[in-house]
Amino acid sequence: MMQNHMGAELTEPEAKLVDCYRSLASMLQMHGEDLPPFARRNALKALAALWQVMNGLDMDPGQVYDLGA
Amino acid sequence: MNDTPYWNPRHETMPRADIDALQVRKLRNLVEWADVQVPWQSKRLRDAGVTADQIQSLDDLKRIPLMTRDEWMQGQLEAPPYGPILAVPESAAIRYHMTSGTTGKTPIRVLDSMKDWEWIAEMWCYGMWGFGVRPQDALFIAFGYATFIGFWGLHYAGEKMGCLVLPGGAMATDARVKTLVDMGATVVASTPTYALRMAQEAKALGIDLASGPVKRLILSGEPAGSIPATKKLIEEQWGAKAADTAGMTELGTIMIFECEAQPGGTHIIEDHYIEEVLDPDSGEPVGYGELGERVVTSFGRGFIPVLRYRTRDFVVRVPGSSCTCGRTFDIYDGGIRGRVDDMKLVRGTNVYPRAVESIVREHAEIDEFQIHLFTADGIRDEIEVLIEVPDPAVDVDRLLESLGRDLADAHEGLRFGVARADDGTLPRFELKAKRLVDERIVIGSEGERRGQT
Repeated sequence: MMQNHMGAELTEPEAKLVDCYRSLASMLQMHGEDLPPFARRNALKALAALWQVMNGLDMDPGQVYDLGA
Repeated sequence: MNDTPYWNPRHETMPRADIDALQVRKLRNLVEWADVQVPWQSKRLRDAGVTADQIQSLDDLKRIPLMTRDEWMQGQLEAPPYGPILAVPESAAIRYHMTSGTTGKTPIRVLDSMKDWEWIAEMWCYGMWGFGVRPQDALFIAFGYATFIGFWGLHYAGEKMGCLVLPGGAMATDARVKTLVDMGATVVASTPTYALRMAQEAKALGIDLASGPVKRLILSGEPAGSIPATKKLIEEQWGAKAADTAGMTELGTIMIFECEAQPGGTHIIEDHYIEEVLDPDSGEPVGYGELGERVVTSFGRGFIPVLRYRTRDFVVRVPGSSCTCGRTFDIYDGGIRGRVDDMKLVRGTNVYPRAVESIVREHAEIDEFQIHLFTADGIRDEIEVLIEVPDPAVDVDRLLESLGRDLADAHEGLRFGVARADDGTLPRFELKAKRLVDERIVIGSEGERRGQT
């Protein structure tokens, strides 16, 4: 089971959202510049929203300004 | 899960020890971010001998230097337009806003990114969800949608929550009232002053708001949202519950909100802010139940790291357990009690506009009012309260006498002049009301300057 920084266990759906965020951030880091505008900008918008989920789950999402969000 | 009263159940009900631990970790991250990204902040921290790895408990907070609005404004003047406070290149921003100019002459200018804006809305979600707003609500926002940040965040929070958002910008008051009624708004957001103004307009239009669909009012922008008499008047005229919230352009959003249990105060969003309450003179912390100045540290907006910012707001902090809602977040009893700069000294007596308003609003017959300070005979401070009383059936002489007595009783016997103004002659306000006019030419009190309003 995945735990947050307070040692609380995340539920399965919460853990899936964490995976989503990490996967999206990683993809934007590696391939953001290769995406067409519609894909990159919408992905950044989704990342900005998922950042709130990470923060609210106490998973310390760090900063995402360098990715463009 | 959607029937929970909390936007973030895990955080909003955390034991105090966990809130402290969460804040310490976030504070450490914030200090590191500011140190690395903002040379101006880095110098302040280094001069104070503070590094991120030294932050081990909330006691370490007091080692971080306090930041003032004057420093912020001076920084803007020296390095326009934003000053040396940005942690990220301007090119990363998607929006610009500035303060409304309640205090100070130079507005504070701020930038935010896409992620920051999602966070700004997130803070409003805590407040709106906590007050019982739900996706099925229709939310009317009586707001000008300009460079003042105001209710922009609430607008996006409404969209995020799935409400039907009804933007009320660029409309006269009568059009706003008609629109919110025609569109079946169930929630209305406005300043307390403007909520009363819309109620007056509705009455003039023959609309009975109390029998309409509006069930909740979200108030912000002025301390009046927590003045019991003002709030009672608003709730009676709208037939709806009213909740106070407060935010700052310097933070981008709200930091406190009133929950559905309406405890007579506002919960601090403690998983996103550290709020300290200090004696404004000594800078020492004051305890629960004591009046002091708010000092805020914000974890959310990375574009402009805010560490120990002196807000000049007066508050009284009480434990979260004084509310029945189950939140562990502490409360500012009575919301924002006023501003350190608001106080006027009149013939040796302290006068706060909020205290005057709380007395005036006990008299429901009074439609609008103004506090007028002037110099009599070239030497003497005088204070008068001008009131509008539109109802011809009211015994005005008796009202003037009663109000004058109530004001004097609450101010160590200070004599207030109370006079009737012609209907419709006193200014009305859409955003932050400025009901105090100081025209004194000779002011004997320390710390006050000519022409202060």
